[in-house]
Amino acid sequence: MRIGLNKKNINIKKFIALSILLAIFVVVLNLTGFSKNIKNFFFLISSPIQKSFWQAGKNVSVFFAGILEVRILKKELDDLHLKNQELLSRVVATMELKRENEVLRKALGLGLEKEFQLMLARIISKDISQDSILINQGKKDGVLETLPVITGQKVLLGRIGQVYDNFSEVILISNKKSSFDAKISDSEIYGVVRGEGNFKIYLDLIPKDEAIFEQGDVIITSALGGVYPQALLVGEIKTISKSDTDPFQKAEITPFFDIKDLDYLFIITAW
Amino acid sequence: MVKKIIFFIFIFYILTLIQTSFLVHFNISGITPNLVLMAVIFINIFNSSQWQKISSAVIGGFFLDIFSLANGLAGFFGFYTLILTGFSFFLKIILERYVRFPVVQKI
Repeated sequence: MRIGLNKKNINIKKFIALSILLAIFVVVLNLTGFSKNIKNFFFLISSPIQKSFWQAGKNVSVFFAGILEVRILKKELDDLHLKNQELLSRVVATMELKRENEVLRKALGLGLEKEFQLMLARIISKDISQDSILINQGKKDGVLETLPVITGQKVLLGRIGQVYDNFSEVILISNKKSSFDAKISDSEIYGVVRGEGNFKIYLDLIPKDEAIFEQGDVIITSALGGVYPQALLVGEIKTISKSDTDPFQKAEITPFFDIKDLDYLFIITAW
Repeated sequence: MVKKIIFFIFIFYILTLIQTSFLVHFNISGITPNLVLMAVIFINIFNSSQWQKISSAVIGGFFLDIFSLANGLAGFFGFYTLILTGFSFFLKIILERYVRFPVVQKI
């Protein structure tokens, strides 16, 4: 029992001594400013390890933050997707307006608006089986059947076929249903332009004695038939075919329009 | 004993580095887990040697002081050493007087 008490006393003494030593050590370090040197030494030897720990901590925290914030991120991503689509649609709309503007400027440059009352339309699709296209103007926009359709360069495309509420069919001049009176430019040679399908057009019913026309002559519409306004460009003569038995001459015409290059066209509502 | 102290120095050095460089990225509402304090508490609860308890508090506090960049009272070198040592004694008193661990004794 006594031995135990002695041991306890020794321990208390040891502890007090240690505490005093520690207190002196601490006070000395603070008063002399040596603590800065000690700190600097530890910072120096620890900095490579601390760098690694810092980087690792950063990476791990980013990883966990990603997991924890995945819902928020997903929502933000969805919002951004929507915004992106909205902006994209605005960009597309602006580009469309720009192109439309260009087409209108070209048309105005030719003075088409002085000759005709025009309505701008856009091609939606093409009938794969026949030479017809669908445009984005219909009954609601004031489109009527048989109205002529031209390009901005005054090239005849065809006439309005069926009219729907918001859309209309354009029967191209190369359509088998299409035939109208035309003449060779700078001459008094008249004929009938017939569509043969597949974008092929023929100038038919030209009397045999009219031998003045030749390859490259430009065909324009005439006012005779009353279907189209006069002097719209149709195409140019590609080949001429004559037959001894046939009382008329026939010429294949290369149309001036290429449907692949067209986006906008004009419906002539009055002339 | 010397071996144990060297072990403590190594452990508390690493813990302080982890606390000051790694765990700062995981603070919750600005509070970073204090690994050194947790280790001191752990040693004080589960270690029977009084020397080891005090030395762990002194060494842990010393490393906290070294890597502390605080100003004012907390910037005083020895602040954490004194705090942890005092805490170790406080824990000792609490454990001795108020806590009993259930142990199975041989009859």
